[in-house]
Amino acid sequence: MGQAARFLEEAGFSTVVLTPTHEFHRAVGIPRQAAIEYPYGRPVGQTGDREGQRQVLLASLEVLEKARKPGETWHLPFVWPEEPKNTDWHPPEMSPIIKAHLEEIKQARKKEAEAREVLPQRH
Amino acid sequence: MEKGERRVDGFRFLPPGLAAWIRTFIPQEEFSGRIPWTPVAKPLKDATMALVTSAGISLKSDRPFDMEREKREPLWGDPTYRVLPRGTTEKDIQVHHLHINLKPILQDINVVLPLTRMAEFEKEGIIGRLAPSAYSFYGYQWKGREFLKQAIEPMSRTMKEEGADAVFLTPA
Repeated sequence: MGQAARFLEEAGFSTVVLTPTHEFHRAVGIPRQAAIEYPYGRPVGQTGDREGQRQVLLASLEVLEKARKPGETWHLPFVWPEEPKNTDWHPPEMSPIIKAHLEEIKQARKKEAEAREVLPQRH
Repeated sequence: MEKGERRVDGFRFLPPGLAAWIRTFIPQEEFSGRIPWTPVAKPLKDATMALVTSAGISLKSDRPFDMEREKREPLWGDPTYRVLPRGTTEKDIQVHHLHINLKPILQDINVVLPLTRMAEFEKEGIIGRLAPSAYSFYGYQWKGREFLKQAIEPMSRTMKEEGADAVFLTPA
């Protein structure tokens, strides 16, 4: 989505991305983004929650107006009402890329866990 | 530059292994390259807003996004796009995406493509106008930038024709 926003800014449109993963900005360079801690597939809010959706959209539109420089991320204050394990955002079947990279995914988790164990000993 | 009182954790909803793996693709340091920029030219209340989502939404009457090839080639994602006229509701759509649960979008399109909410904002004078067309492409573009040519460039031409000033984008 970041690449699409970059293309559109280049084409003369002002953009704002409402993103559940603002960290991708560090890889892509996204012109303006509103970061939200909501599950994948529902960045605007819960189904049927008109008022909640409106609040998120108003806050996102505000980012469009108040961002002054390329690459600004504004963190939105909204909190999803369910714990991650209860959000049911996953597809019914494991996605093809995950199936194809299960070993790498396990290794990445192991490496992070090891790094976390090592870090406190250094301090 | 990051702003706001609460810092969002973009990995909170991901399983730890998947989060760790994705983090291996994201640099620790800030993005230092050039970032394209079009300053906001007019107040929102006068601006025409176009909506784009990468949720893989198409009209029931249109062709669906291609999931079969991705199942055969896990690094390929459909690089095309679909137009969704304003006024489109969940009743009019099909959704194809192998990385999320589709049910919430099929129950309420506004959770990812807020056409009804933006039409309300138009009526209330919060935005000037909602553009006649909204767009969906398929956000899983692991391999290349072909989708910019096949999807984003043609949709940007229609946006120009329809007088859009600003674009609101929602990844799935």
